[in-house]
Amino acid sequence: MIRLYHVHKRYGDISALRDVNLRVAKGDFAYVTGPSGAGKSTMLKLLYGAEKPTEGKLLLGGVDVSKLSRRRLPALRRNMGIVFQDFKLINSRTVTDNIGLALEVIGTPRALIDRRVSAVLGIVGLRGRGQEYPATMSGGEQQRVAVARAIINDPSILLADEPTGNLDGGMAIEVMEILQSINLRGTTVLVATHDAGLMDRFPFRRLRFECGKLVKS
Amino acid sequence: MHSLKHILRRAFRSLWEHVYLNAMAAMVIAAALLLIGVYLTVQFNLNAIVDTWERDVHVSAYFHSDVPEARRFSLRDEIANRPEVASVHYVSESDARAWLVQRVNDLDPVLTELGDDALPASLEISLTSAQARPDAIAAFAASLDPSDFEDIDYGQEWIERFNAFLSLLQLLGAVLGSLVGLAALFLVANTIYLIVYSRKDELEVQKLVGATGTYIVAPFLIEGAAQGLLGAVLALVGLWGVHRVLVLRLQDALQLGVAGKLAFLPPPYQLLLAGLGILLGITAAFLSVRRFLMTAP
Repeated sequence: MIRLYHVHKRYGDISALRDVNLRVAKGDFAYVTGPSGAGKSTMLKLLYGAEKPTEGKLLLGGVDVSKLSRRRLPALRRNMGIVFQDFKLINSRTVTDNIGLALEVIGTPRALIDRRVSAVLGIVGLRGRGQEYPATMSGGEQQRVAVARAIINDPSILLADEPTGNLDGGMAIEVMEILQSINLRGTTVLVATHDAGLMDRFPFRRLRFECGKLVKS
Repeated sequence: MHSLKHILRRAFRSLWEHVYLNAMAAMVIAAALLLIGVYLTVQFNLNAIVDTWERDVHVSAYFHSDVPEARRFSLRDEIANRPEVASVHYVSESDARAWLVQRVNDLDPVLTELGDDALPASLEISLTSAQARPDAIAAFAASLDPSDFEDIDYGQEWIERFNAFLSLLQLLGAVLGSLVGLAALFLVANTIYLIVYSRKDELEVQKLVGATGTYIVAPFLIEGAAQGLLGAVLALVGLWGVHRVLVLRLQDALQLGVAGKLAFLPPPYQLLLAGLGILLGITAAFLSVRRFLMTAP
């Protein structure tokens, strides 16, 4: 599913990632972990094409993301879900509009969007909340909306960058349980986090980065 | 595929949500188009004046005093039969004198002093409109025999100078129009960029969930076209106001009857102005969104 061969990422003189070699199989759940500045977010940015590696090869489902043109990037992203620490929800749109956006951009008919939104709201435990606005919801609920948006198009891979970073313990566990359930449906899940407690509670493979190097896989 | 209805809905939602910035962009376009419209109006009216003059091409051929009257009439008939000639009128020395005396008071004693042949006899020749080009008029004048005619006057120099002035005006208009257009493009592009920037988070999310450039850009292009169209309408209303209030008053004050009433821009020019506005809005929108898309994750 995910293969990295000698991947380097440099910003000027600063090396964010150094000679990373990695393999994550389809359907795996893995943490990308390490201290701040270790390269966790950079690693995820490379995977969703926001950045390109300075050197090396990065395959995602057989596609070399490092050579992907900007024009072909949308097709890659339609097959993945992305969750951010700050949720990245559009506050002027309803929960339904936010979640449905991933289907709207590919021209899905409105009726089908509404049906799918209703289904994923059930998965993340927000049934009947579609007409609310994100700003009126708690942090945990907003993150669940973000997760719902990430899974609405049945992606084969879900990337989550510190998804519980802004949440208290109880809400963080709820979000992790949702991510775990999504993984059980066959979606490959990669979660960047430095929350050791959470990793202990939900024990999965850990990809530990330090100063840009993958030190434990 | 996204339906046009869906794209229009997103465009008009954005127009409504950013009504102030959109109005600003439309005003900038209107200001630029108003300047271009004033120039086009001036240009159009000057062209109309030249066209009127050139269509009424008139040549005065003055006889040598020693050309006998019979020869004058035969020359008149010969010239009248030429295909490029619309009409010929013979003006004798006494006709010329009577015409001048009628127009200038107290001139009769002076002309009496100068004698009967103070003013030469002439042929007043009107050419057909097909001969309106300066080179054709010059060719016609050159075809008249200098042994019969002392002087041939067709206002050639004046027309050529005026044409040269018009060419200069056109060049000046093209340069100034381009500068005004570029300045407007810069201002509108930056105004639209403010709209893009205010929707930065939303557009970033669209990109992250797999929206194509077309999906993101299309509503902005429609927004730009709407701003351009609104700007053009405002400019035309402004131009009409300027035309009514200023130009007509100026016309009355200066008694400019030379080419009839000074005209407002005709419909083809109005459409040109609207097209320019729409093009300006679309280009500015495209440049702004492209600038954002190049830097967004």
